[in-house]
Amino acid sequence: MSYSDTIKSYIVREFVPDITTDDLADDYDLIANGVVDSLGLLRLISWLETTFSIPVDDIEINEQDFVTVTAICGFIDRAASTTDIAKAA
Amino acid sequence: MRTWSAEQRDLRIDFADKFAAWGEGHLERDRTGTFPWEQWKQVGESGLLKLPFDPAWGGLGQDLLTTMYVLEGLGYGCRDNGLNSSVATQLVSTGIPLHRFGTTEQKDRFLRSVADGTRIGAHAITERHGGSDAASMKSTAVRDGDNYVINGEKCFISNGPVADLFLLYVRTQGGTGPFGISTFLVERNTPGLGIGEVIDKMGLRTTPFCNITFDDVVVPASNMVGKLGKGFLILDYVMKWEVLCAFVLSLGNIRNRLERCIEFARSRTQFGAKIGSYQSISNKIVDMKIGLETSRKWLYDTAEDFLAGENVMMDLAIAKLMTSEANVKSAADAVQIFGGRGYLTEFGLEKDLRDATGGTIYSGTSEIQRDKISRILRVS
Repeated sequence: MSYSDTIKSYIVREFVPDITTDDLADDYDLIANGVVDSLGLLRLISWLETTFSIPVDDIEINEQDFVTVTAICGFIDRAASTTDIAKAA
Repeated sequence: MRTWSAEQRDLRIDFADKFAAWGEGHLERDRTGTFPWEQWKQVGESGLLKLPFDPAWGGLGQDLLTTMYVLEGLGYGCRDNGLNSSVATQLVSTGIPLHRFGTTEQKDRFLRSVADGTRIGAHAITERHGGSDAASMKSTAVRDGDNYVINGEKCFISNGPVADLFLLYVRTQGGTGPFGISTFLVERNTPGLGIGEVIDKMGLRTTPFCNITFDDVVVPASNMVGKLGKGFLILDYVMKWEVLCAFVLSLGNIRNRLERCIEFARSRTQFGAKIGSYQSISNKIVDMKIGLETSRKWLYDTAEDFLAGENVMMDLAIAKLMTSEANVKSAADAVQIFGGRGYLTEFGLEKDLRDATGGTIYSGTSEIQRDKISRILRVS
């Protein structure tokens, strides 16, 4: 399973259970469309930290990293390039 | 039933007499709204504030659960809930984030004095329009060379009027979301920092509140705690410690109250029978015990799960709700069980009720906690 599929599965399961992962486009704005709010962002970051072993404390993050599934994939890639994370997915 | 080691029990027992002594005179201090300076000095000397910190910075190296266990003893033994609240604020507002996210240089400069109480700490999060919606904060810090220039205001700052060191959460990037918030250490004597008058309040009157203002306050960039834009994640971590450490104090309060109520129900006679023989009284006491034990389980189990790296967002909300509301209910029931005596100031029970009420408001109101649980459950 790619990052994208893993992330979509999590987002659908946790935030929008009424749709399928196929319904969730890679470039769908999760924040502007209210799928992920501030509480959701904390949950998402906590999940990314655990699932992809990302040392969140040590890397720079901003809201744009979590706007779309594509952006989240980019965030994981960036974290992987700057740290020695284990690519769990 | 959780079991504690002999070392943990001995640690708490060693503090017991001190806890009781710090509470003496609490009714008078509550009446005048006076911060207990002398007792605070003794708190610092006792080592209580050193519990969770690394010995490298003067700490005692105790884990979270042991720290909570001792703090439960403080809530039980010390009748000055305001002082207890100041202790929790000191630990979680400045000590814990410095310990977890601070640089070695920051720890060298500040953590020892926070751990021995010679510096009083406070954190500044809430703004007038925000309250529980902390992410909507508007105060800013703008980079200027090697410094940041801070402007804005914060309100309802626990320990604020007596604090030497503030951990300040402000926006370093535009927008209104949770990112773009950064955390800074600001010392009391920094030019442009305005400390407001003590704000009178319903309970916890010995832990002083105030508003603070920032008018072109210049702090070195090296005073940033954690990374740029990570303040909200620091705050999330701090709030976990705050719920666990501040509300375990309430557990001690309920245990103390339960014992007093049982003793009173056994000794007070009305219409030829001990009042404990009336179910309308005994049921209140039974509910108090259930509230105590349920809260205890939620708090300590959540602490264990937190240490194990599990996602405890909902558990914390439940633990906070359970404990704060059990505290208010037991305090109200205690007033009722003691009748006229409960209503009189001299017995301290009406004060307990006023103190307990704050717990359903600070650290996220009961309404916010229910909303959080509802959102995680995807109710709406």
